[in-house]
Amino acid sequence: MPRTGVFVCWCGSNIGGVIDCPGIAAQAAGFPAVVHSVDYKYLCSEPGQNMIIQAVREHRLDRVVVASCSPRLHEETFRKVLARAGLNPYLVEMANIREHCTWVHGAEKEQAQAKALALVRRAVAKANRLEPLFESTIPVTKRCLIVGGGIAGIQTALDVADAGHEVVLVEREPTIGGNMVKLDKTFPTLDCSACISTPKMAAVAAHPDIRLYTCAEIEKVTGYIGNFEVTIRRKARYVDHEKCTGCGTCWEKCPMQVPSEFNAGLGQRKAIYIPFPQAVPNKPVIDREHCRYFTTGKCQVCAKLCPAGAVDYEQEDEVFTEKVGALVAATGFQLFNWSRVYGEYGYGRYPDVITGLQFERLVNAAGPTGGKILRPSDGSAPRTVVFIKCVGSRDESKGRSYCSRICCMYTAKHALQVLEKVPGAQVYVFYMDVRTAGKGYEEFYQRAVREGVVYVRGRVSKVYRDGERLVVRGVDTLLGRPVEVDADLVVLATAVEPAAGAGETARLLGINADRDGFFQEAHPKLRPVETHTGGVFLAGACSSPKDIPDTVAQASGAAAKVVGLLSREQLSTNPMIAQVNETLCTGCFLCVPVCPYKALERRKITELLPGHPPREREVAGVNPGLCQGCGACNAVCRAGAVEVRGFTNEQLLAEVDALCL
Amino acid sequence: MKSTLETLRKEAAHLLKEERVKFVIGYAQGTDLARTTPFFAANVRQAGMLTWTPFCVYSLVKYLLDFRYDDIRLAVVVKGCDSRAVNRLVQDNQFARERVVVLGIPCGGMLDREKVLRVVEPAAALLEAEDRGTEYLLKTDCGEFCFEKQETLLAKCLECEHNVPVVADRMVGPKVPSPARPGMDRFAGVRELEALDTAARSAFWDRHFARCLRCFACRNVCPACNCKECSLERAVPGWQQGVCWLSKRTSLGLNHMFHLIRMYHVTGRCIDCGECARVCPVNIPLRELYRKVAKDANELLGMSLPGLDPEEKPLLTTYQATDPDEFM
Ligand SMILES: Cc1cc2nc3c(=O)[nH]c(=O)nc-3n(C[C@H](O)[C@H](O)[C@H](O)COP(=O)(O)OP(=O)(O)OC[C@H]3O[C@@H](n4cnc5c(N)ncnc54)[C@H](O)[C@@H]3O)c2cc1C
Ligand code: SF4
Ligand code: SF4
Repeated sequence: MPRTGVFVCWCGSNIGGVIDCPGIAAQAAGFPAVVHSVDYKYLCSEPGQNMIIQAVREHRLDRVVVASCSPRLHEETFRKVLARAGLNPYLVEMANIREHCTWVHGAEKEQAQAKALALVRRAVAKANRLEPLFESTIPVTKRCLIVGGGIAGIQTALDVADAGHEVVLVEREPTIGGNMVKLDKTFPTLDCSACISTPKMAAVAAHPDIRLYTCAEIEKVTGYIGNFEVTIRRKARYVDHEKCTGCGTCWEKCPMQVPSEFNAGLGQRKAIYIPFPQAVPNKPVIDREHCRYFTTGKCQVCAKLCPAGAVDYEQEDEVFTEKVGALVAATGFQLFNWSRVYGEYGYGRYPDVITGLQFERLVNAAGPTGGKILRPSDGSAPRTVVFIKCVGSRDESKGRSYCSRICCMYTAKHALQVLEKVPGAQVYVFYMDVRTAGKGYEEFYQRAVREGVVYVRGRVSKVYRDGERLVVRGVDTLLGRPVEVDADLVVLATAVEPAAGAGETARLLGINADRDGFFQEAHPKLRPVETHTGGVFLAGACSSPKDIPDTVAQASGAAAKVVGLLSREQLSTNPMIAQVNETLCTGCFLCVPVCPYKALERRKITELLPGHPPREREVAGVNPGLCQGCGACNAVCRAGAVEVRGFTNEQLLAEVDALCL
Repeated sequence: MKSTLETLRKEAAHLLKEERVKFVIGYAQGTDLARTTPFFAANVRQAGMLTWTPFCVYSLVKYLLDFRYDDIRLAVVVKGCDSRAVNRLVQDNQFARERVVVLGIPCGGMLDREKVLRVVEPAAALLEAEDRGTEYLLKTDCGEFCFEKQETLLAKCLECEHNVPVVADRMVGPKVPSPARPGMDRFAGVRELEALDTAARSAFWDRHFARCLRCFACRNVCPACNCKECSLERAVPGWQQGVCWLSKRTSLGLNHMFHLIRMYHVTGRCIDCGECARVCPVNIPLRELYRKVAKDANELLGMSLPGLDPEEKPLLTTYQATDPDEFM
């Protein structure tokens, strides 16, 4: 029979002001196995903690019930108290008589008293069945792998590597840099985006502790916090980067013209190419789909001209495995494909209706027009430019329900750029709201208004072509009248959505995605860079739309978490995880697919049964590094063979009995 | 049925002679005319003792569980309804499909022993049974008797959905017409109960559950129940006595608990073979209880009858990254 002590906390007047704590303590003294029961003003205070320690010693307590606040707040505190008292820290059970009782039943004192007593009775029933639990330790591989080499991935990589840990950076495009290097200037300071991001890209390439894989994607992740093993597939680039000097002869002479992804389809590149002059790595790749040699079997111009003999049409995909202790998802975003659904803007049939990202390339001095804003259709300079915001954002019927956060600001930026580059231009912005939360953001928007950008509040109902021009028809909801603008160029601020393949990345990393497909933080406020899977962190726009300052701040936050993890020699594992009773397990393995953390595996055991020769059979086994103690397996196991320690069927049933019988 | 029986014996003898299997689990004539008994034929001589009559009601598939961890191959005789149980066990990884040779017999329905014995002397010896489509002709040493199927079949056979086995390595005997009542609706009974108001429905189940003896016959016969130790029968040692899913006492409340827990445990796994209701000594209409869940699972989640496709994942046993997970 255990010897259980009950400690009832007043929490000042939070609890003590509503219910009679001494009364609860007196009644709890009569509960099964309770040998000591007292109340106290503040149990979490130093004297309160010492009182528990003393009582444990004096009354030889071996189970402790603390009736106070939420275990989320103080369970850790009281576990430490038990440890100091010489008990296993997991022998404490809390009854939450504050959040679950006095805070919500302040007006009904009598019922609150009865409920508090019931909660304590429940806690005693469970405490009497608690078992000591032991943490175990696992070693940490002091390396980190980052998926996605946008500004988020770059920043995290540099921060972690500067702290002295090796970093593996995996980027699926031929260059790192992500969306930021495609931008011209950045709000609100209008500094040149490439000027501030390319040095960081170069720093990644030069860093001795960063191993960079481009044209590469992760294919498989096994293991758990501190000990992951990641399989990476690097696509064949058909150029041996060891030999290539990046001289550029090949792409000058390549006969094929392909729309440039980097220029958002507005310019051309060759079939052997580097995406842009400052690309990292600064060596070309062959686009097999468009290469004349690969499609027709004739050409080989690049191979013939390459002075280094680096072109290798026989190159194959390479597969690497990397052992790391931490993973960071930094896969960023893409823009919503508006042309599929927005028939009113022409379904993408009008070349002069473009996206914000295409506009960035048009104003960029290194872009297809050398920085001149020219219409894609005829190369003329537009006189009137119309911006339409919230295309796919805040539009549940056609796009996404959320606000994409960055469009208000970059539209203001674009509008200012038009006024600056095209003297005498007319600029209209159709908007639903203007949202400018951020340092210097509202001022930036006001500047746009001051300089003559016409903001029209209202939706655009139609864009259609009339000869050379586009007609934008909408309604000004502030004036309550229809408006029609003859425009030369229309720029759509399309919604930010998770990068293509984000769902697959989430699956590989064993993390969750929210309903919009963005990666789910462990807690939106308090643990924004962590996930529910130990050792996997988030950086940048992959978890929600973000501008560059927020992206970089979060990336450094993720780096701090990674460094914190990698600076430890060993990790102690949470003992409140699933365990399989092998005798009961029938080996149905229905639990295996339901585990969101892939923590369950098949194990062979040899069973010794009386009157039988030893026999081998398969049962489920829990990987303690992966299991997060969610209990999904527990629910699916009809045999009751898998239980979560600290929440066993027996303990839970005892609680139910204590409450209901 | 005579030619079917001959083929069955031949197949069994062949399997045993070639040592393809250790046993053939089938039926043998029982202690009276209207009884058969489960029979493990281990050699060619014993294969000749197998029988096939309209009284082979039991499902033999559960015997496979006795050998689930052993390293032997078995053959088992199945009717249409039992055949789904084979898939069920394979689906639960309880028996590797390659370890069992399924001898499937298309079934014309099983006769209700009670009704037959009202007419025929139990001591009479069954010489031959003939399935004539809508009726059975029993030839005995005391004369010939004809039984109209719609009058004398077991209730569960009149609701038969698959009289031809859904899985079989060897199909023994010709296809025969289904004994099901024309226009049969599997969920008619459930619909009737659903139409009652809550009080009446509660009274209905109270009346039935009050009789439950907790004999575990339903569980023992159930192919969805394959735990090594039943959580509803688990002994709790020492001073903790009483903290378990269910104490051993029988009371109306505990009986309700017993049946509802069992119902949830067979959710998505019950193959609707009707054996539970047939074996219940106090005739609790258990089938309707499990069919209610099956009906909901079908209407809400599009689940088909379990046991048809061994590849299909049972209800409540899948996880996808896109599942809503507000609770985590
Ligand atoms: C038109 C426009 C204008 C903008 N203007 C500004 C501005 O002026 N100021 C400002 O602060 N912000 C601006 N932004 C926002 C800015 O672009 C983002 O904040 C920033 O790019 C987010 O960086 P990231 O690294 O999180 O994502 P990204 O830049 O999207 O980088 C993600 C990287 O991950 C890679 N990747 C994706 N999936 C995988 C995978 N499965 N495997 C390997 N690699 C993968 C991608 O190829 C990419 O390189 C603008 C955005 C747009 C669209
Ligand atoms: S733990 Fe339960 S669900 Fe998992 S394999 Fe064993 S019996 Fe099946
Ligand atoms: S409790 Fe079970 S389902 Fe949850 S993580 Fe652990 S093993 Fe997986």
